[in-house]
Amino acid sequence: MVSVVSRPKARVFAPVVVSAGALALLLTGCGAGGGGNSAQGSKEFSYLTNVENTTIRGELETLSKEQCKAENDAAPLKVETVPQTGLDQKLQLLAGQNALPVQFAAGNAPALTQDLEKSGNILDFEKAFADMGMTDAVLPGAVSTIKALYGGKLNVLPYQYNVEGVWYNKKLFADNNITAPKTWDEFAEASEKLKAAGVTPLSASGEQGWPLTRLLSGYLFSDLGPDAMKKVADGEAKLTDPEYVKAAEAIADLGAKGYFGQGVGSIDYDTAANQFMSGKAGMFYMGSWILSNFNDKEANKIGEENIGFLPFPKVSGGEGIDNQYAANVGLPMTFNAKKYDDKASAWLKCIATNYGSSALKNANSISGFKQNAPVENVPPLVKSTQETVNNTTESVLWFEALFSTKATTTSQTNAAGLVSGSITPQKFMELVQNDLNAK
Amino acid sequence: MTAPATSPTRTSTGPAVPGPRRRTSRLKALKRLPINLLVALLLIVEIYPLVWLFLGSFKTQDEFLNSPVWALPQNFNFGNYAEAWTTGNLATYVANSLIATIPSLFLIVLFGVAAGFALEVLVWKGRNTVLLTFLAGIMVPGQMILLPLFSAYFQMGITGTLWPLIITYTATGLPLTVFMMATYFRAVPREVFEAATLDGASMVRAFFSIGFPMVRNAVFTVALVQFFFIWNDLLIALTFTNNADLNTIQVGLLNFTGEFGAVQYGPLFAAICINVFGTLVLYLFLNQRVMKGLAGGAVKG
Amino acid sequence: MNNVLGDKKAVAILLGPALLVYTLAMLIPVFWSLGYTFLSGNAITGFTFAGLSNFAKLFSDPAVGEALWFTIRYAIIITAGQVFLGYLLSLLYVFALRRGSSLIRTLVFFPVVLPTVAVALLFQKMFEIAPQNGLVNSALNAFGMGSIDWFGDGTRAFWVIIIMDLWRSMGFYAVLLYTGLVDIPEDILESARLDGAQGLRLIRHIVLPLSMPVLLSSVIFSINGTLKVFDSIVALTNGGPGSATTPLTLHMFRTSFTYGDYGYGSSIALLLTILCLIVTLFIFRSSRRDLTKD
Repeated sequence: MVSVVSRPKARVFAPVVVSAGALALLLTGCGAGGGGNSAQGSKEFSYLTNVENTTIRGELETLSKEQCKAENDAAPLKVETVPQTGLDQKLQLLAGQNALPVQFAAGNAPALTQDLEKSGNILDFEKAFADMGMTDAVLPGAVSTIKALYGGKLNVLPYQYNVEGVWYNKKLFADNNITAPKTWDEFAEASEKLKAAGVTPLSASGEQGWPLTRLLSGYLFSDLGPDAMKKVADGEAKLTDPEYVKAAEAIADLGAKGYFGQGVGSIDYDTAANQFMSGKAGMFYMGSWILSNFNDKEANKIGEENIGFLPFPKVSGGEGIDNQYAANVGLPMTFNAKKYDDKASAWLKCIATNYGSSALKNANSISGFKQNAPVENVPPLVKSTQETVNNTTESVLWFEALFSTKATTTSQTNAAGLVSGSITPQKFMELVQNDLNAK
Repeated sequence: MTAPATSPTRTSTGPAVPGPRRRTSRLKALKRLPINLLVALLLIVEIYPLVWLFLGSFKTQDEFLNSPVWALPQNFNFGNYAEAWTTGNLATYVANSLIATIPSLFLIVLFGVAAGFALEVLVWKGRNTVLLTFLAGIMVPGQMILLPLFSAYFQMGITGTLWPLIITYTATGLPLTVFMMATYFRAVPREVFEAATLDGASMVRAFFSIGFPMVRNAVFTVALVQFFFIWNDLLIALTFTNNADLNTIQVGLLNFTGEFGAVQYGPLFAAICINVFGTLVLYLFLNQRVMKGLAGGAVKG
Repeated sequence: MNNVLGDKKAVAILLGPALLVYTLAMLIPVFWSLGYTFLSGNAITGFTFAGLSNFAKLFSDPAVGEALWFTIRYAIIITAGQVFLGYLLSLLYVFALRRGSSLIRTLVFFPVVLPTVAVALLFQKMFEIAPQNGLVNSALNAFGMGSIDWFGDGTRAFWVIIIMDLWRSMGFYAVLLYTGLVDIPEDILESARLDGAQGLRLIRHIVLPLSMPVLLSSVIFSINGTLKVFDSIVALTNGGPGSATTPLTLHMFRTSFTYGDYGYGSSIALLLTILCLIVTLFIFRSSRRDLTKD
């Protein structure tokens, strides 16, 4: 514990524990590997990532052998992994010891990233890029998303840049004479027709929760404007205000009409994706990371050419932007300001220069880095999505983006109840607002 | 027992089986019917899940998502096992689990049995207080000691090794072991040990030569219970390991989940099967001793 | 004679290592954590002195109340269920199956060996409703009843957790209790039978009183495990729907590490520890009394 309050205790405790370790060694008669992870940042380019994301890790390893070989020789890339569920805890423990790696996954919720920022653990990338004369390294859309998330600061890197919207089954739409919905009313109409045709209109994972609250925030942004959630975060509006509750009612209404099918609360991520990809569901709200599933010919039974992508339907008379996509950078990655030296800076420069094209080429993964070279042979759906990303300058966030972690948990665990009718829209908004007030 | 003809050797040995049995056997069989049905039901409830797990390990992702839960796999390919072995990095994880588990078990048993002996057989002031202190340890939630221990291990520079796991497992396993061993020793008359020391042996030697062997079966029981606690632990393993080379098998099972919540079911099931059937073999191997151990006097209050 | 048994050196050698490891890696961290109950904040933002405000919050926080109530309900039902079913099974082993029971004992014992993740997955699939019915809902349909969304409602999810944990643990308790029954001397049972005690009467008047000590020990063991339940609930429902199946341990873990309020998390842990302590001392005392009776 590094904090001021507990330091005296640590001093008393340390020798005692050391003797315990020594005792354990004596008793078992063998030596420990010792050492542990070094606190010096300059020796290696250490990187703590969630074990679930293999793309970024793999791509950095490729770079370390190719374009960034010189940087890797100076400070070799060393990857450490932690399952995503254990990430927040691990960050706290490491930060408490001043032992965060050079580059690390910045936590599951933006609130935690901001805590890290406040305690001086996070690099200001805007300044770092300016220092190396690369102010245009990150795509404008990604810059605006990150700044909106972190109070105007470029705190994380867009290794992923995901746009979210409604994916739809073109064939099912054609078969049932449905045109791609542009407004909320058309969206509801399309759902009704799909239901009448015996197809689940909307595939969504209530087990995860967030795919449902994304619809709620999409509605809010479209109805009340892109700053709808910022107003709540700033205390200028409350989720229990009638215009906010109205959005929750609209989502609950989709559930009440049975558009999500039954048992939405126990549908997991794979099941939701599979319902759409096997043609059992007509529409699927999801982020562009799902493209890797769509490109998997075995999983995707409806064919890539049958999938279309739409922005969030516009609420009539609403104040939202046209072509509204929600955007995010996945689980954000950042640099440790306390270990940012010449070698780390060289790595950052190399990554920012090469990652965009390299990831698109090798993994068909869309990032928020500018591409330094054109990439050929990209699957059409990926290509069109990357174009959407390149052309997006204004995007919105998601429901929980500016919430405390507690309010985030409350929102996502109760979302299924909202659409299954076990809690009322009013009650749902109250629960979340209560946690926001507590902050 | 209902068919005496099948056990000629036994009837010939005489007194074990009483005489006029044949006439009542049919009636008995009828009387036992409800019990047999009950047992059959019990076995189905207990075994079916294992079979389901095993069959699941051969299914493709497509079958998991599109076929009924109880459907049989379309074919027995071992692709999931290969996938589990590589993606799950199972060889390393199993090795790590063993490296963490075996020394911890050894220390728990050695320290715990000795402490149980010292607390129950030996007579000294304050032993009840110490016993209660250990008992209190059973009640502390494991989540509570994570942060202080992490700091301590970090200051010692052992966070890049499996030592934190071994130390933590040993410490958290001790309270229950000490408590259980103390109750086992309560059943042994103290005179046994007093007699031993008359021959000039010290109390420490009496413990190793007489006390420990006497509760051997109980030791197996305790070791078994602790083995499953440690082997199935996720919380401690997750907190104190910092890279994939140190993951235990339970942490490794999380590798089959994706960033946004996707799960690779087939390989996950295959990994679970390798884990489960590995422990099953170990378990059957130790089973005879263990069951005797449990039957030899479990937690006698 | 007590001189031999009071050998100080022997006490030091035999008790020393255990006490040392236990003190260093458990007692000190526990007291260290107790220190945090007076602080607020976490390791990232740093700690600030909060006085007794964490304790005040403890009593006014509805989430703690809800989690406490869930924990108590869960602990009582599971402990009663585990010990009761385990006892029934052990009676079955001893009086109905006798020598043939070894294989069945082993098989019923086995679920306790399975990794929590696997068991939870199994029960999720069994009670599934979407995208297709699991085993349970199919059975309901076969009897002409509609499918039920088992995890969509707090009460139903609670019962699924109960069923799962009982399924897992009853074989373990059966074997523990079997021990106590096997040890009952045959001549006591025989003379009771001669006195005309049969079946339930025999069990109620002879067997039950004699197996009381081992029953009470099992209860202590069980209640301490159930009050601290964590893994199985995280794996099965992750505390949901909403927060309907969140036990104190999970609430504490989230408060400490996800919500970043380590001090308050420690206070919740303290509450749980005190709860365990009270319950155990209560049972411990009554069990001691019972022991001295016979």
